Amino acid sequence: MAMTFSQQENIGFRYVINSLSCSSPYGQARVSKLRFFDPNEIDELKTQLSNVCRVKDTLTTLSFEYGRLQRLMMPMKDIRRSVMNLSEGALSELELFELKRFLLQTELIAPVLEDVIAKAHIEGIAIPAQTEALKIIDPEGSRAATFFIADNASPELKQARREKREIEELIRKETDSAERARLMALRSAAAGKEDAEERRIRREICLSLAPYTDAIIDCMDNVAELDFTIARAEIAVRYGGVMPHFSDGPVEMEDMVNPRVADALFERERHFTPVSLSAPVGATVITGANMGGKSVALKTLALNAMLVKAGMLPFAKYAKLPLFGGIFIVSEDLEDMDRGLSSFGAEIVQFNEVEQAAAQTEGISLILLDEFARGTNPEEGAMIVRAVTRYLDKQPSVSVLTTHYDGVAALASAHFEVKGLKDMDMAKVAEEIAASDGHIKGADIIASHMNYGLYRAQGAESCPRDARNICALLALKDEILKDI
Amino acid sequence: MLKEYIQGVRSLSIIGMCKNAGKTTVLNKLIAELNESRVRLGLTSIGRDGESTDLVTRTAKPGIYVYEGTLVATAVDMFRLSDITREIIYSTGWPTPMGEVAVVRARSDGSVQLAGPSMTAQLSALVDVFSSFGADMTIIDGALSRKTLCAPTVSEATILCTGASYSRDINVVIEDTAFSTALLTLPRQESFSEAELDIPMNGKIRFKRADGTVEQMKDGLTLAEALRSREYADVKSAYITGAVTDATIKPVLMGGAKLKGFELSAEDGSKLLLSHDSYEKLLIRGVRIGVRRPVKLAAITVNPVSAYGFHMDPKLLLDSMRAAVSVPVVNVESKDED
Repeated sequence: MAMTFSQQENIGFRYVINSLSCSSPYGQARVSKLRFFDPNEIDELKTQLSNVCRVKDTLTTLSFEYGRLQRLMMPMKDIRRSVMNLSEGALSELELFELKRFLLQTELIAPVLEDVIAKAHIEGIAIPAQTEALKIIDPEGSRAATFFIADNASPELKQARREKREIEELIRKETDSAERARLMALRSAAAGKEDAEERRIRREICLSLAPYTDAIIDCMDNVAELDFTIARAEIAVRYGGVMPHFSDGPVEMEDMVNPRVADALFERERHFTPVSLSAPVGATVITGANMGGKSVALKTLALNAMLVKAGMLPFAKYAKLPLFGGIFIVSEDLEDMDRGLSSFGAEIVQFNEVEQAAAQTEGISLILLDEFARGTNPEEGAMIVRAVTRYLDKQPSVSVLTTHYDGVAALASAHFEVKGLKDMDMAKVAEEIAASDGHIKGADIIASHMNYGLYRAQGAESCPRDARNICALLALKDEILKDI
Repeated sequence: MLKEYIQGVRSLSIIGMCKNAGKTTVLNKLIAELNESRVRLGLTSIGRDGESTDLVTRTAKPGIYVYEGTLVATAVDMFRLSDITREIIYSTGWPTPMGEVAVVRARSDGSVQLAGPSMTAQLSALVDVFSSFGADMTIIDGALSRKTLCAPTVSEATILCTGASYSRDINVVIEDTAFSTALLTLPRQESFSEAELDIPMNGKIRFKRADGTVEQMKDGLTLAEALRSREYADVKSAYITGAVTDATIKPVLMGGAKLKGFELSAEDGSKLLLSHDSYEKLLIRGVRIGVRRPVKLAAITVNPVSAYGFHMDPKLLLDSMRAAVSVPVVNVESKDED
């Protein structure tokens, strides 16, 4: 993936990932090492996504079963490394204890999971009970959640322990300290024999378990997948995830949500306006008012395309998109500033890198440009954006640009517009700002009147002129305002 | 019998005035006595203790000998130094330099090496783990030179071990032990509610005024300056977070502030790093000294035999100690009670 961590943070992707709550360390490891699907892995992605959908649709009806599975996965520890070492025969008592606990959990998980799989029609996840392996580590079949090598594991062990116990009985009764010391020494010798025999038996257990290494690791990977699937379904319920349709290029998204922005707005008692957007292969341009949510629209598209690539349901009412080979975003980036480039210079360098990477990426790429070339003089800036739009429109990728510049939209295959303040009653808003007497920030009042919806532009070519209105509402110095 | 002093106690800690004060002897005695009364024990320590040779002084040290059925929480590296038959019953996930702390059930008698967790919260969690596995009582072996009293504050009662190893001079042993006892058994402070002490404050010192308001002492003042000032004339008590040292207290004593009826309090007895002299003077001036977390000192044990090769008169040591403190005193070595 060619998106930097700060970009992932910026579009709200990390926010979603951090909101996933897995029960087991296996699931947590799966989340911290996210896998991004490539276009040639689409079949597997589809299986995973439909699993997430099926879990999502049955979360309420099977809530008891899912809750039980989560509780069974919760006390697990990630012991994959110990299991990989079974063939060396040197697992410690504690490692064998943890392994036994895991094997016991598989026996408890298996019947619940089988039931869930049958009812929810989940495919490709299986955690079979590891009864055969368990027999090796628990030959008595006690199923106790403890690790203890029983006396009858070998005649030698039985003998050593009997010897030790006999001496212990004598020690308990002995009051003479010299005799007690002699017995202690004898006991030490017996304990040494016991220890050596236990070590031999532990080694034997490890080696007998070694053939099950792959099966056990497979169980652990499936625990990770199950855990991750339930977590993905839960978050899909929370923010409205939908099964996407896959296209060979065009993007069609209806009512997308960006959880990070939505939650931040919710805290300020405002609502997120869902974003709908269609973008064909080629260039799509979004124009519109300042503060009108163009950038949020772009980020929300990037986020949802990225979620699909990471095996998660997009947050939307309807989603149709290709499985992108790469998702790229060009925006002012602080890291580039650190590299000593001006914001304009950094953008150009970034664009070059993105363009090259997209060309080398297999499949269709999604390229997003947020107010490209805003940092230079408007005349040249507009020319640059027009040229870039014309170029991108010919490329076999889906590109979406936001811009203020005139004469760009006509060069793109599609043009969307933020309604912004167009339908707003200026006088009414000015009154409201005056009435609030500074208790509510002017910007917040404007925001509450802003129409954040994206609309397909009908013929109108030039960008809306809301900037001056906003300046007036936000009480920019009169002297300056008159001059605009 | 030692166990008489700890009847009905759910958790006990054992701490020593110094190395070789007889802590392990006391522990072994208790284990044996409690085993006879069929008390199921859970054993652990703060950090590491219980080596067969003392790592610091290289003197022979008795191991801890437990009986079948005892629960032991110790770091996994200690397993190979123990010779009980083990059943692993719980893993805590708490790392220590000697590996993760695990709980085992002794399936035979034998000696164990203790290296338990070092955090207060973990120790109190362990008490619950032990009791969930059927232990009637937890004993925590407090390690040498832990300045914090974390073991006593999580346990219901404490035994303090002292003896000839502390000093060649019997008077020093008696005096210092009595002083430590006084600090350990300080009463609960009475000025502040728990909620008032939980209010986060940057400064070390918080005051309570006569009208009940609680506030942090202003920056840039010493306690002595504040107590002399008109601004704080109605302050009736002070609570100090962290150590209470002579550097803070001596100027107060010399400053001539009216201290009668004043309450000075700290988190627990171990935070009072005061000289005996300052402590006495505070009391003479009418200051009440309290702590947030009082410790119940069940008994003091004395060991007349020093690890460094000399003995004290057992009877003299026992009698003088009894005269100096109001806590039961027991000789660790004696078979009968005196």
